[in-house]
Amino acid sequence: METTNIILCGLGGQGVLFMTRILAETAMHRGQKVVGAETHGMAQRGGSVISHLRLGEAEGSLIRSGTAHYLLALDEHEAYRYLPFLAKGGKLYVNVEPGMFPRPEVGAHIKSNKIVYRCVAATKIALDLGAPMSTNLALLGYFAGFDDGPFSGREIRQTVERVSPERFREMNLKVFDSSLETGERT
Amino acid sequence: MMKKQILLGNEAIALGLLEGGCQILTSYPGTPSSEILPGAVKLIKSEGLNTYTEWSTNEKVALDNAFAAAIAGKRAACCMKQVGLNVAADSLMSAAYLGTVGALVIISCDDPGPHSSQTEQDSRLMARLAKVPVLDPSTAEEARLMAKFALDLSEEYKVPVVLRPAIRVCHARQDITWEKLHSNDTSASFEKDPTHWAATPRFRYLLHKELNKKLQEMSRRFDTLKQFNFHNLQEGKSYNLGIIAGGVPYAVVRDILAEEDRDDIAVLKIGTPYPFPERLAQEFVNACEKILVLEETDTVIEYFLRDRQKVLGRLSGHVPQEGELVPDVIYEIIDKTFKERGMEPLSDQMDRSAMELVGSLDLPVRRPTLCPGCPHRASFFSIKKAKPKAIFTSDIGCYTLGLNLGGVDTCLDMGAAITMASGFYHAFAQDGIEQPVVATIGDSTFYHSGTAGLLNAVYNGSRFVLVILDNEITAMTGMQPTPGLGVRADGSKGRQIALEQVVRGCGVDFVEVVDPYDIKAMTNVVKKAAQYVAEPEGGIAVIIARHPCVIAYRSEAIPEPKRITITEDCVECNLCIEKFECPALYRDEELGRTAVNPVLCTGCGVCIEVCPKGAIVEA
Repeated sequence: METTNIILCGLGGQGVLFMTRILAETAMHRGQKVVGAETHGMAQRGGSVISHLRLGEAEGSLIRSGTAHYLLALDEHEAYRYLPFLAKGGKLYVNVEPGMFPRPEVGAHIKSNKIVYRCVAATKIALDLGAPMSTNLALLGYFAGFDDGPFSGREIRQTVERVSPERFREMNLKVFDSSLETGERT
Repeated sequence: MMKKQILLGNEAIALGLLEGGCQILTSYPGTPSSEILPGAVKLIKSEGLNTYTEWSTNEKVALDNAFAAAIAGKRAACCMKQVGLNVAADSLMSAAYLGTVGALVIISCDDPGPHSSQTEQDSRLMARLAKVPVLDPSTAEEARLMAKFALDLSEEYKVPVVLRPAIRVCHARQDITWEKLHSNDTSASFEKDPTHWAATPRFRYLLHKELNKKLQEMSRRFDTLKQFNFHNLQEGKSYNLGIIAGGVPYAVVRDILAEEDRDDIAVLKIGTPYPFPERLAQEFVNACEKILVLEETDTVIEYFLRDRQKVLGRLSGHVPQEGELVPDVIYEIIDKTFKERGMEPLSDQMDRSAMELVGSLDLPVRRPTLCPGCPHRASFFSIKKAKPKAIFTSDIGCYTLGLNLGGVDTCLDMGAAITMASGFYHAFAQDGIEQPVVATIGDSTFYHSGTAGLLNAVYNGSRFVLVILDNEITAMTGMQPTPGLGVRADGSKGRQIALEQVVRGCGVDFVEVVDPYDIKAMTNVVKKAAQYVAEPEGGIAVIIARHPCVIAYRSEAIPEPKRITITEDCVECNLCIEKFECPALYRDEELGRTAVNPVLCTGCGVCIEVCPKGAIVEA
């Protein structure tokens, strides 16, 4: 059973759900089956937010520990919190100043599990462009820049363009493109 | 024309209801059910349907309304969270006996975990108690199919049907393909038959008998309902172990066994746990030496299996009695059971070291907190300031988070802020003690269950301060309108019913409205109210703390945002961080004092009044 498992996490209000939606829509657009799980209600009030996204033949919406292929974290602490979801050789994209990750205690785990981690100061990119609420798009753009996900960076960009509300579209793309370049250069 | 969309499980349920020709849809919001009605409203508008929708004032009201439509020959449904069904239980139990003419589907969304509820109760047991059929979907797509099927089943057997999706179905997302929807034009007609529709106990006995007959017939029907109840038994083969699973756990079991290529395991999926498909289950049990039962949240299937010697589940200690059966938990249960049965274990022998490592990292605990700029925070701060020694009874909503601020001592159920306040009053008054009590309740919760308790408290001479935290919306569940707002489920204008009017109507003489953003005014009015409560001629004092929710109405809530800064007068008393707990305020290690996070700060400026040193100022 071929399934791609993606965990997206962050804090309430950072836009984890929108980021999940972009990836889910991208998958559907290319004809893949999609199932996912979201956090609503009490947990959204500033709490830790996680969403699960599964592309392929899965029926259950939750991802089992040690089986996620990708982990996208909008917050450094949340990246650590959900690290056990990553499979051996999984890829971690995290919003943190490059060079500041991982904490020494975690280094051995990341190494022995062959986890590939990539860091970007997504909040700073968004702030510098005057869009403090767009950290999610900065991380997504960076992820797209590597072009090593289940879909190409171009496909993700097309979804951002298609599903962004009219009044945010231009800014969303600006933030996305800026960090996409950062990703490509890395 | 076919449409393909990624839908939330609750939107898929709404789709299924409308595909099934649902004409009347009522609901009271509550996680994880809240998105069903808005999902339907969206489809009704885009597809030009004539379905009537309403946010009812509570779940019992929602069920009664839908029931009336169903006995007038319509297809009706009502949706709620599982504890909402407790509120509607009186209606459900009776409706089961009376039956329907058209269709009545009750959607009760469960919350194993729990993630956003007071209990982990299992709505399937409520359906069993009421003696109505219950459907238990495993995925969003199946929930959609079951919603339509439930309407058909209800109309066919003239019996209310419960659909029980759990949170992982409600808040799952899945790609769903659907076709154009059509309105159901069945017209209303009501044939008077008081011996039936207003049946007295003598007739109720006969109705009960009739219901039992229907249940037997449905159980037979479910034996062969292959769409929702199916297994992979091979003719003549016997199995060391069989798994019977329902709801979300079935989807997880299915994925695990598919990933592991384990076709040596017999699996029976049960989508209709009640009335139980007895024959189908017996056939399955006969082919297996032992049966592992995986279901959420309680034991239903497990109780219905007659051959007790074979069953492994909650009663045998194989499955935890509480908490959600997430994939990790199910994986471990299956693996352990395989080993116990001398079978080949699962391939992935789980490595717990990553979890232990994370546990040792001392990560910040992210407890849910009131939003920056939330008017409730200001209310709690003033209440605590004015009456620090009071007992604070509270209620269900965002403001339950006032417990972080020491402003919430109790939270029982909807409306209990008021009923418990009067209970506390009498308990202490009996001993001659004047124990101050300040109750807090949200606007929507007050409309839901506040008035009966308030009438009772006034009538029976209780004394306490009641603060209605009026943010003009049902915020916690995702911004549904209230009667106070006068906007209806479809966005049209409804009759606005002011809280002041309702409170005075309950016999309360002290009613004051205040803006909680004004800490001084709010503190003074709480003191004044407490004085009134203590006067010989006093009674219950009601304060309506009215300020719009910052999430629902940002620009109305904070028309002129202030740029907040903290001066060197800050002495790091941490009062603003600990007692006011605004997420936008934090201790800046470099500066060595409190600082403002400009991304989170809404500029409400309430903190300016909170700082005892006057160190929080407008820049």
